[in-house]
Amino acid sequence: MLLPPLWTLLFDSRDTSTNMAGSQLKRLKASLKDQGIIGPQRSKKQKRQNAQDAKASTDKRLQRHEALASIREQFNPFQFKTNARGPKFEVTTNKPQNDKLAKGIQGRPGLAKATAEQRRRETLLVEMQRRNKVGGIVDRRFGEDDPNMTLEDKMMERFAHEQMKSHKKNTVFDLEGSDDEQEQVALTHAGKTLFDDDDIEAGRDDFDEDVSDMESDDERSARKKFLKRLRAEEEAAEGEGEDGQPERKKTKKEVMEEVIAKSKAFKYERQAAKEEDDDLRVELDKELPELQSLLFQMRPKETKDSKGPAVMAGIDMDQLEKEYNMRLKQAAREARAEVTDRTKTDEEKAEEGVKRLKEMEEKRLRRMRGEIVSDDEEEEEQKKSRKKGDDQEVQDEADEDEFGLGKGIKLRMTATEMGLDDEDDFLLEDDLIASGSELDMDEDDMSDMDGSDDEDAYDPDEDELVNGGEDGESKEVATKLHAQSKGGDEDGIPYTFTCPESHEQLLEILGSLPVTKLPVAVQRIRALYHPKLDAKNKERLGNFAQALIEHIAYLGDNFEPTWFPTIENLIRHVHSLAKTFPIEISKAYRSRLEEIKENRPLALNVGDLMLLTAIGTTYPTSDHFHQVVTPAMLSITRYLGQKIPQTLADYSIGAYLSILALQYQSFSKRYVPEFVNFCLNTLCSLAAEKPKEKLGLFPVHEPAAGIRVKGASKVTVRKLNCGDCQQPKSARSTSDDSALKVAIISTITSVLRTASETWCKLPAFYETFQPAQRVLQHLTTKSNAAQLPAALVKQLKDTTTSISRLLQLAQVSRRPLELHHHKPLAIKTYVPKFEDSFDPNKHYDPDRERAELAKLRAEHKKERKGALRELRKDAAFMQRENLKVKKAKDEAYEKKYKRLVAEIQGSEGQAANEYAREKAARLKKNKR
Amino acid sequence: MPSTVKVQAAKPVVKRKRSENGEPIKKRRKSEAGEEKEDLASQIQNLESQINESRKHYNNIATLIEYAEKQNEDPKTAIAAAEALCRVFVRLLASGSLVKKKDASEKDATVAKWLRDRLTDHHKALVAMFKSTKLATQALVLAMALLKAEAQYLEGKDEAVFPWPLFNAIISALLTSPVEEVRDEFCDKFIDEYDDIRFYTFEGIKDFLTERESVDEELQNTVFNFLLKMEDIPESSEDLEDFYIEQPVKKKHPLRSLSQHKKRAQEAWLALMHLGLSKEQRKKVLDVMASSIAPWFIKPELLMDFLTDCYNTGGSISLLALSGVFYLIQERNLDYPSFYQKLYSLLDTDILHSKYRSRFFRLLDTFLGSSHLPAVLVASFIKRLARLALNAPPSAIVVIVPWFYNLFKKHPLTTFMMHRIPRTKEEKELIEKEGVLDPFLPDEEDPMETHAIDSSLWEIVQLQSHYHPNVATIAKIISEQFTKQAYNLEDFLDHSYGSLIDAEMSKEVKKAPVIEFMIPKHIFTKADPGTEQTDSPLVSLWDFGSS
Repeated sequence: MLLPPLWTLLFDSRDTSTNMAGSQLKRLKASLKDQGIIGPQRSKKQKRQNAQDAKASTDKRLQRHEALASIREQFNPFQFKTNARGPKFEVTTNKPQNDKLAKGIQGRPGLAKATAEQRRRETLLVEMQRRNKVGGIVDRRFGEDDPNMTLEDKMMERFAHEQMKSHKKNTVFDLEGSDDEQEQVALTHAGKTLFDDDDIEAGRDDFDEDVSDMESDDERSARKKFLKRLRAEEEAAEGEGEDGQPERKKTKKEVMEEVIAKSKAFKYERQAAKEEDDDLRVELDKELPELQSLLFQMRPKETKDSKGPAVMAGIDMDQLEKEYNMRLKQAAREARAEVTDRTKTDEEKAEEGVKRLKEMEEKRLRRMRGEIVSDDEEEEEQKKSRKKGDDQEVQDEADEDEFGLGKGIKLRMTATEMGLDDEDDFLLEDDLIASGSELDMDEDDMSDMDGSDDEDAYDPDEDELVNGGEDGESKEVATKLHAQSKGGDEDGIPYTFTCPESHEQLLEILGSLPVTKLPVAVQRIRALYHPKLDAKNKERLGNFAQALIEHIAYLGDNFEPTWFPTIENLIRHVHSLAKTFPIEISKAYRSRLEEIKENRPLALNVGDLMLLTAIGTTYPTSDHFHQVVTPAMLSITRYLGQKIPQTLADYSIGAYLSILALQYQSFSKRYVPEFVNFCLNTLCSLAAEKPKEKLGLFPVHEPAAGIRVKGASKVTVRKLNCGDCQQPKSARSTSDDSALKVAIISTITSVLRTASETWCKLPAFYETFQPAQRVLQHLTTKSNAAQLPAALVKQLKDTTTSISRLLQLAQVSRRPLELHHHKPLAIKTYVPKFEDSFDPNKHYDPDRERAELAKLRAEHKKERKGALRELRKDAAFMQRENLKVKKAKDEAYEKKYKRLVAEIQGSEGQAANEYAREKAARLKKNKR
Repeated sequence: MPSTVKVQAAKPVVKRKRSENGEPIKKRRKSEAGEEKEDLASQIQNLESQINESRKHYNNIATLIEYAEKQNEDPKTAIAAAEALCRVFVRLLASGSLVKKKDASEKDATVAKWLRDRLTDHHKALVAMFKSTKLATQALVLAMALLKAEAQYLEGKDEAVFPWPLFNAIISALLTSPVEEVRDEFCDKFIDEYDDIRFYTFEGIKDFLTERESVDEELQNTVFNFLLKMEDIPESSEDLEDFYIEQPVKKKHPLRSLSQHKKRAQEAWLALMHLGLSKEQRKKVLDVMASSIAPWFIKPELLMDFLTDCYNTGGSISLLALSGVFYLIQERNLDYPSFYQKLYSLLDTDILHSKYRSRFFRLLDTFLGSSHLPAVLVASFIKRLARLALNAPPSAIVVIVPWFYNLFKKHPLTTFMMHRIPRTKEEKELIEKEGVLDPFLPDEEDPMETHAIDSSLWEIVQLQSHYHPNVATIAKIISEQFTKQAYNLEDFLDHSYGSLIDAEMSKEVKKAPVIEFMIPKHIFTKADPGTEQTDSPLVSLWDFGSS
């Protein structure tokens, strides 16, 4: 056998699918045959058999329809819009590959066109036809469009409706007829029924009335739906059991009844539940007095018991409410029972004291570092966590701060102020200290502050201070004092005073007392006007404290050497008052500082010195920032830095302030440039000879005449006192003068030495104190030393050696600076952003607004195109329709025309025939 | 104007006779009673209108001048008379009665000459009024009005001729007058308004100063202040368009050239400076040098010697001269040898305490603003200022540190002053053993040779524990990361103790301040000898009376 060439095989195999069926008609025939729609003719017997099997026939008919539809689809190539090129990528799928359907039907243009056409016909066409036509009546009468109803039925139904409507109108507000369940509409007030609440089922009952109200078809259908739903529910609820029975369609009436019955049942249930609740409530109410007595721990009152049931009966509702509200308020006000602390043993107390002290010290250190201190640990932790986040902010704030110190200071202040975050906290803490104060004092052997419960509050050895903080015990103190007042006082100090509230009053009241007895008076005033004794006392004492500050300055200005213990005592009184009145006292101090700044920044008097000293002891000077200490320190350094001393008094004041500045910084060891400047300048100025060369970078002011020390070798070295700070009333003798000069030099030298010890750890100690060393060396040169007493020279030399030693130490311990061991700052990186599921059709615009705008624009464009297309199609449709109308019209015309022509022609022809006939007849006649 | 004159003239026809022979009577009367003043005023009016009426009454001018001269006795009449005279003369000048014409008759010539003499008398009377507090300003206005008229008509030429005699008289009267307001008035109303008046004033002042043999200090001050008031320097010749006397026609006229204006100003200033200045005056001059004086000079080089001399003087004068020198360097390309060395030498003890501190820092910031300066030099400046900061007031430290920061940013090499890690092992050992001796040479004058760059800024670290919290915070910026680009120096300049305290005080106390929790036992008194407590420095060093 000869094999056909391979290519023909291939070709054949490829073409079989297309060639198989041949022409379209043949293919159609074949597929119809396939489906069994057409087939060989059946015998009559078969036909009959088929017809008998009714069920099979319906099935068959359905099948036939389906088959036909599919064939129709198959043979219309324009039925579907498909991807002509097939799938883009080879994919494995369980869908048939070669099928046309597999290509994916993207649209059905024929169908779409048909529906569009249909819709247009429904809307546009109607509109077109209605155009330029006005009016019209829509008949909404009952059953108008129902062809199934006879005219009689319609009339009956309409009449019934009419009747019902009029009947309904009457009964809505008919109180008499309200007993009828179906028609009931309860009168209400504010949404509640007026009558008792067992039948508040208006909601359900309204239903019937709604039914009667309905008239239009729409409403009717809504009602039908409602009923249907009800029925469905019903079936779901109870119909489960009777599943076996054949479903019977319920009549409308039945349904209604069922619904009503059901709603009644619900109503009953609800009422029963309510009654049950009421019973329970009554029971509870009966028990209330007992409960209350339990709650308030009060004796149950018999009257209440008797009242209880009466109340329950609802007779005295108002009374009950009132009662209840009162009780509620009482309960709210009632202080909670407090758990009392166990009495502590002495060891525990001591331990606690130590702990508190330690805490205080820690807080002080934190303040010194300028950190935020708060009293609450938790709060602190919170803050810490917050602070980390806010670090940048803090940094910014700091930056801000550096911009314009004037304003920046405010920012700084608030930051530091957070240290004493909560005023109440502070007061509380204050209380704590005070009440346990004997512990503190014992700790440091400072029993002068002993608690007033101790009898030795009046120990003559101790300072008779009433602790401002000892709120707890002060009442006793006061009573004690009162008791004592009858006894009198050996010094003749009265026991009672009116509380002085200004400095003038204070002078008036206490002016007659000897100054040294002032503390006793102050103590008594403080006890008499203790805040616990009277509400106004707090204010009084606050004012008194301010007056006391004034008085300290006043005493300082007019000081006597013997007064200092008194002033000291007063300062301590102010200190202890400051714990109770921190704001008042700080304000008083600050106003004093303000006054100094305004009036005499460079001419301080002794009173100012006393106050500055008081500030230094009252407030923690080690704080990084403090509302009172910082300005006070500035006032001191302003004097030290800017004053060009002219007289010895100026130098003495400066010396005092130098000591004070050093004392302020003795704990925190902060550096005060002005201190160094002043000390060195003073030494240079007082030296017998002017130094030949510059001794350092401190500014040197040429001293006034007579300042340099001359011939003081015989003078004994004494200490400075406050008298030296005032201008002498009469000129001092030369020996006094040189004694003072020597005293100044000696004081400054000692203070320099103290300073060198205080600041020896500072990194630039060498640069700071080398000039001091040189100045001291200058003072001990022969020409200078000859003018000074030997003791002083020795002191100078000692100081020089001590400073030299410290300098040496400083130099050896100094290391190059390594300030920037910071973590290197990361360079800002810009990592490209990868999209995990990138969609090229999507716009990845980082600019959100722009992206949204673009989206909107695209949408708009799309919509616009769609609208245009629709309009175009509409126009085409309209044209088509118009054309159709016109064609119809033309056709009608043509038809009419033709008819007329034909008619005329017919009659003409008739006439012609007649004529012809006549003519022929005439001819015939003529011929004849 | 003529019509009003006639109306006025119609009435006093009758009175004329009386006035002719009534003059002596009037004089007497005037001395007799003050109530006749009004009469006197009307009389002056009479006299004036008579003069306007006919030449016959020209003698009235003499009478009026007589009145005008009596400014001390009767200032009101004097000024009224002066006013009248002014009107008369302006009218006469306008009519050309004072012009010497060649073809005029002898009689006319005599009249003209006589009138000119009277005019001079009138000048004198007016100028004399400058000394009186009450009349000065009015007199000035009159004189200037007359000046305008004279310029236009006196010489009878088409173009205005500036009447130097009158103007010189005015200038010298102004400068010698004790009344400050006249000068202010003159400046406000004439010099500031009119370019030509300023032009002539400069020339007038120069002449005034050169002609005088001795100029006392007070006068110098007056001239100085006067010159200072002429502030707004025109920028181009086109700006010169306000003329009191009419604008000169010729384009080339000196009045219309800026350089001529400047030349006059320069001459005036030089004339003043040649007189020799006291120290205070020098300071004043230097203070305004760059802003008001140097711009007037066509050849600022002429100031060079003066400025360099001042700059070399040292102290605050050097500081002040600095801006002038800088002006010359900037504008005139002045080559100042070893400028930076000199600048470095200005950084002495007083600079941080001086009241010109912020001014100096502004300039210093400009001078060291270039990033092309050698780091060694910048380091020297930094180290020197750091040393000075150890003895500086807080307000100065507050400027210095941010400025350092800026410099560190600009010259990264200098950051070794903040962060230096010893490299070799030997180096480390040496440091361990002997510590560090500051390699900086404080006495070296050349900023390139100070070895400051090998040093460290311990001083600033020390200031981190400055007593003032804000200063301490600011000092800390050099040990924090340098994330900020630069600090704006202007925010840190211009602080003082006062402003710092103010800043503290301006804040209300709202939160209770922390109170020291322990009440000290002893403040002024000594601790009990038995206890371990040590006395505070105050107690141990100060005598509080009780022991």
